[in-house]
Amino acid sequence: MSIINKDRIVEAYIGEYAAGKSEAALSRALELAALGRKVTLVDLDIVEPCYTLRPVQKELMARGVDVIAWETKETLGLGEAGATIKPEARWALRRPGDVILDIGYGVAGSKTLKLLEGADEDPFLSVICVVNTSRPMTSGMEQIVEHVREMGKVDGLINNTHLGGETTVEVVQEGAGIITRAAKNLGLPVVATTAPAFIAGQIGSVDCLGNPVRPLAGMMSKAFW
Amino acid sequence: MSEKIMQEEKRVFMTGNEVVAWAAIAAKADIMYGYPITPQNEIMHYWTRLVPKYNKAFLQTEDELSAGFTTVGGVMAGRKAFTATAGPGNTLMQEPMSMAEMMRLPTVVVIQQRGGPSTATVIYSQQEVTLTTLGGNGEGMRIVYSTANHQELYDYTIKAFNTAWKYRFPTFVLGDGYQAKMREPLTIYRPEDRGMQIIEPQAYVGLAGVPGRDRPPAHHRNTYNLEEELYEKVSHDMAEFERIAPEVAEFQAENTDDADLVVVGHGVVFRAVREAVNNLREQGHQVGYFRPVTLRPLPVQQIKELSAGVGKILVVESAYGQLARLFKEVAYGGTAEITHFFRPGIGITATEVADRVKGLLEPVLRQPRLRKASFG
Repeated sequence: MSIINKDRIVEAYIGEYAAGKSEAALSRALELAALGRKVTLVDLDIVEPCYTLRPVQKELMARGVDVIAWETKETLGLGEAGATIKPEARWALRRPGDVILDIGYGVAGSKTLKLLEGADEDPFLSVICVVNTSRPMTSGMEQIVEHVREMGKVDGLINNTHLGGETTVEVVQEGAGIITRAAKNLGLPVVATTAPAFIAGQIGSVDCLGNPVRPLAGMMSKAFW
Repeated sequence: MSEKIMQEEKRVFMTGNEVVAWAAIAAKADIMYGYPITPQNEIMHYWTRLVPKYNKAFLQTEDELSAGFTTVGGVMAGRKAFTATAGPGNTLMQEPMSMAEMMRLPTVVVIQQRGGPSTATVIYSQQEVTLTTLGGNGEGMRIVYSTANHQELYDYTIKAFNTAWKYRFPTFVLGDGYQAKMREPLTIYRPEDRGMQIIEPQAYVGLAGVPGRDRPPAHHRNTYNLEEELYEKVSHDMAEFERIAPEVAEFQAENTDDADLVVVGHGVVFRAVREAVNNLREQGHQVGYFRPVTLRPLPVQQIKELSAGVGKILVVESAYGQLARLFKEVAYGGTAEITHFFRPGIGITATEVADRVKGLLEPVLRQPRLRKASFG
């Protein structure tokens, strides 16, 4: 596959329902695009597609990210008659440049990766599990370890601990502690701590455990159906 | 191996459907019967994920008719049973819930309203108000809580179980697709830690002893032979429903005393109503809001006082007059002019409510009033 550059970034964002996968994925795509890199962001949420990046795709494209996603009005039976991926999405890994995949929740979501041509042989593909410890199902170290083990191939964790509009630095740092312990237990790196820009600014470039901090774009609040 | 995740009060971040599942655990529900339908699916998903951790049970039935009847059966067997549904599933639930009304069974049903008629949209509406309050071939002897946020979804789901088992009328928590999928922070807690006593379920059938010798035989009827027999039964139950109505009914109101206009809304729409009214107040308009929390029974006395004391009432809902119809029946005889803003199957923003209110207030604003000066 000669079209693949050696520094190519290919990341799939998986995790628990409402963990913040789409926000983490689109923020990463925007970050890479801002560096002048060619980025394709792919909506692969066919598990529960009520809250995906579909509604913000035009805004993302205006900011330099190629997006593969349905328009909501093009879809049929959303949420209950089954959902299909866009034909282009199947071939997304063959595209030149960086590819960021936004995957549906849970084990069913992580299996969506199998629908992509080349997913099992792409040497650059990194699967990142997004975790928010304010979500009761992933609030403790042991629960996170159990959750991540169920998900199949995972290459790293993201601490996306928050409480919506009530998020504070303390909430994010507490999550960093729990998730870093879980990551050690799993033998995985914490790829980043993600936080709303104003919180990320207060924390600085690394969190209390030395994990890099990525500010979030905060676009998913506009994305509902 | 019952897990104790909820050991202390905790601020968490959840979707509405998840909240319902956790609240059912907190209320010590034993079993959920269900059939999948959007937008309530994750109530089932999360309940089934919690089931092994808390020693609970779940049965997926072949349809909502069956989910309703198995809920009725679970209750009769002495289990704290519940189900959840939406839209056409709610339509199918009406037959079993009518039976629960007839037999005075404490069923709990959570409804996440979707667009109608029929399958319409999977997304949102407030079009299941008529069905949930008055559906079935009966007299609507049910209790319906309409929630507006995740904290209320948690609080009222817990409360619904106690209400059902205390009064033995079918009890509903009426949410909607927006609340189901939305995510926001809330505090989860064990009701006992807040001094709430959780009512234990009791079996209707399968009791110990020989019927007729050790105890009266269990004779739970949903069929009566003669008109007079039925009349006596329904009259008795209706009298009891009307007797408990004032203590069951709940509402929320603000700034109604000096208002030129009061906006009425329920459920998630109330969020827009409250924001609009607060903004309009800040701009110096004499407006207030009134929100029925229980849509069945309605807070009758408060609605009568409101409609007798205020000039204009604006009813706002994501349906074509389902709340307005219930409201007007109670408000009948009052002097208020009742107008409406109906948006069937679509969300309503605070700006839209405020614009409608300003349009209605204009004739009033032409007559300057001294007390407005204090608002600058």
